[in-house]
Amino acid sequence: MSIPAVSFRDVRKSFGAVRALGGVSFDVAAGEAHALVGENGAGKSTLLKILSGSLRPDSGELCLAGQPVALARPRDALAHGIGIVHQEMLAFPDLTVTANIFAGRELTRGGLLRERAMRDRTRTLIERLHIPVSPDDVAGTLSAAYRQLVQVARALAFECRILALDEPTTSLTDAEVDHLFRVLADLKGGSTTLIYVSHRLPEVFALCDRITVLRDGTHAGTFDRAATRPDAIVRAMVGRDLPPRVVDAEASGPRPSDQPRFTIDRLTRRPCFEDVSLTIRPGEIVCLFGLVGSGRSELLETLFALHAPDAGTIAIDGGECRFAAPRDAARAGLALVPEDRQQQGLFFNLDLRHNLVLPREAARSSLVVRPRAEQADARAMIRAWRIKTPGPETFPDSLSGGNQQKVVVARWLAMAPRILLMDEPTKGVDVGAKFEIHEIIRRQAREGAACLVASSDLPEVLELAHRVVVMREGRIQGEIAGERADEESVMRLATAEPGAAA
Amino acid sequence: MKRLWRTRELSTVVILALEVLFFAWYLAPDGDRSHPFLNGPNALLILKYSSIYGIAAIGAAMVIISGGVDLSPGAVIALASVVLGGLFVEGGWSLGASVAMAIAAGLTAGLVTSALVVLVGLPPFIATLGVMGIARGAAFIFTQARFFDVSGALPPGWQPFGIPLDWFAPGAMIGLAVLFQVLMVRFQWGRAIYAVGGNETAARFSGVAVGAVKTSVYVLAALLSTIAGVVLAVVQGQGKADLAMGYELDIIASAVVGGASLSGGRGSVIGAVLGTLIFGVLRNALPQIPGATFYDRLIVGVVVIVIVVMDQLLVRRTR
Repeated sequence: MSIPAVSFRDVRKSFGAVRALGGVSFDVAAGEAHALVGENGAGKSTLLKILSGSLRPDSGELCLAGQPVALARPRDALAHGIGIVHQEMLAFPDLTVTANIFAGRELTRGGLLRERAMRDRTRTLIERLHIPVSPDDVAGTLSAAYRQLVQVARALAFECRILALDEPTTSLTDAEVDHLFRVLADLKGGSTTLIYVSHRLPEVFALCDRITVLRDGTHAGTFDRAATRPDAIVRAMVGRDLPPRVVDAEASGPRPSDQPRFTIDRLTRRPCFEDVSLTIRPGEIVCLFGLVGSGRSELLETLFALHAPDAGTIAIDGGECRFAAPRDAARAGLALVPEDRQQQGLFFNLDLRHNLVLPREAARSSLVVRPRAEQADARAMIRAWRIKTPGPETFPDSLSGGNQQKVVVARWLAMAPRILLMDEPTKGVDVGAKFEIHEIIRRQAREGAACLVASSDLPEVLELAHRVVVMREGRIQGEIAGERADEESVMRLATAEPGAAA
Repeated sequence: MKRLWRTRELSTVVILALEVLFFAWYLAPDGDRSHPFLNGPNALLILKYSSIYGIAAIGAAMVIISGGVDLSPGAVIALASVVLGGLFVEGGWSLGASVAMAIAAGLTAGLVTSALVVLVGLPPFIATLGVMGIARGAAFIFTQARFFDVSGALPPGWQPFGIPLDWFAPGAMIGLAVLFQVLMVRFQWGRAIYAVGGNETAARFSGVAVGAVKTSVYVLAALLSTIAGVVLAVVQGQGKADLAMGYELDIIASAVVGGASLSGGRGSVIGAVLGTLIFGVLRNALPQIPGATFYDRLIVGVVVIVIVVMDQLLVRRTR
């Protein structure tokens, strides 16, 4: 075998007490398309950051074409011909396509920008990648797919022998994915080595020659596409048979006789969503399936009074309610676990005690802080939700993603909500935490909460839902009873043209 | 978190103590002449002059912890002093009524600021920059270049609430600092300020009334600046439109030296007040060193940078 283009040799990296990579070794052959798959938190992103020079490994080495290299900063990676396309990243939304492609590496002569040369090179690049945009278009105005391709163009603008892509298709439609894949197939033919990070196995099998699986920061195996099947990859990713789902003796889910707990009637907030009607009964878990941009997050946020609807009403137990602020919604028994725990959930300047009790105290409008009682409550929550932490005096940045998510979930569930809204409750958490969070949601339902769980994770939706509601482009496309829902029926609704299905 | 605050304030106290020790040693007199720096009247003098900064710094710290910044304290102090002085000295108003009007003027400035920040959505830097200009401008228009001699109009030997005039300003500063420290640490309202400064989006998602919290912070900050202005007018006996020029930056520097982070969410009221004392001691002691007069601004600038850099190195090590 010829010299591999990239080799990882016993690469280790920890963040504080959290081990992200625990000795990973594998080779990427020159000119191949190599997939890197694994659950969230398996270490894919960390490995990619090491390859891009944004992180340095604690030990181990990275070899390019057989030579060990030390990449101290992103510039070094670029100098070695490594181009990275980050997930949903748009570097400079206010600059033109040309400026984005050359940002930081502008062509100059005597300190002056060579605008024409850069524009010409951009034109060649976008023709090569078949992107129908102008070099002078402002990047922020382009669609997600074209922005993604501009990132590819940025990686290719200078000599690029190794192109790594991190989940490049998360927010793309099928047609856009096809376009991207044709471009990538061309590049592979032109002897660029591709490293493709994804958790979407169909894409991986369509594009890649070999597949490396990471699990909990270790190398779980490298497979030839021709000699393996998707379920073998899944087994390697999960590493064990998941504990079987606990099924209650009495059937879970709502009783047909139950009155609706939560009714949404023709709720509209333009341009995010329109005419959304939905009822949820006590004990029922309704999963709202929709991709990024489908309006699902905006819907949940509007229900929780973070935005005002343009039209439509909501009712709890048949009584119409209007909330002026999230506090009113919380008092009425709603809880919203937001999508992005870093941006929308946690206070990194406050310790876990404050993080855990703050929403409750805000909803109660309490006047004074009672440190001792809060400390006891926080301890109880940490125990009840099995949050791995030394105690309530710790700050949230020292927790792993799964435990951070449990903090955000716990603080709302401590208020025993009657209506539980969750937006991507297991985004970026490991398999174990995911399982625990699913159990927590089921327990809330058993105790009579009406649950509305928005998710773009299809297996999660199929696993949890008593009823699947599919949302696309701000409208409800249809619903399927949980036991009849499968990947195909849900995806068909999610990708159908608006109005074509129902 | 409480433990963290405690350690952070402790380091401010240590810096203050080291500073006092240094000047006590450096300015120690020969023979048995009395110490020019280390004596009771001088300590009271430092406290008295620092308290104008200190009272306003309580508000500045709250604004900074909430994630904002306030450039208007100096101008609001001047506005309060001229409204009080004008009405009391020339308008023939009673002292109580003049103080009430000064407070009304300061509250107006605070309401304008919070409306600009909360309703219009201006960045606090811009909103308070504007209010700074308006308040200072209003003070100049009101005085028409006159100067109000408040001390001449007060009865000789007058004592507010029975407190000797020299003790009044430090007393007000210490009382307000303790009051607001308790409000910030032991009340839900104070914790909401930390939450808003730490992560405003998460605060909204947690049901914190972000607009109300910010409004209260800017109004109280203006109120505290007004109190500083009233204290200045009464204790130093004057009302003038060009008083307290540039105080806003010293006040922000004090809050930062006392542990506040300009990115919000960190800091304390007590720390900011201690920060003003660090500068108060500098301002008092440096002129006593022969030839140091020209260096005092430079030294103040260096001190800000050194203390904040030390703080960051310490924070980095402990994390």
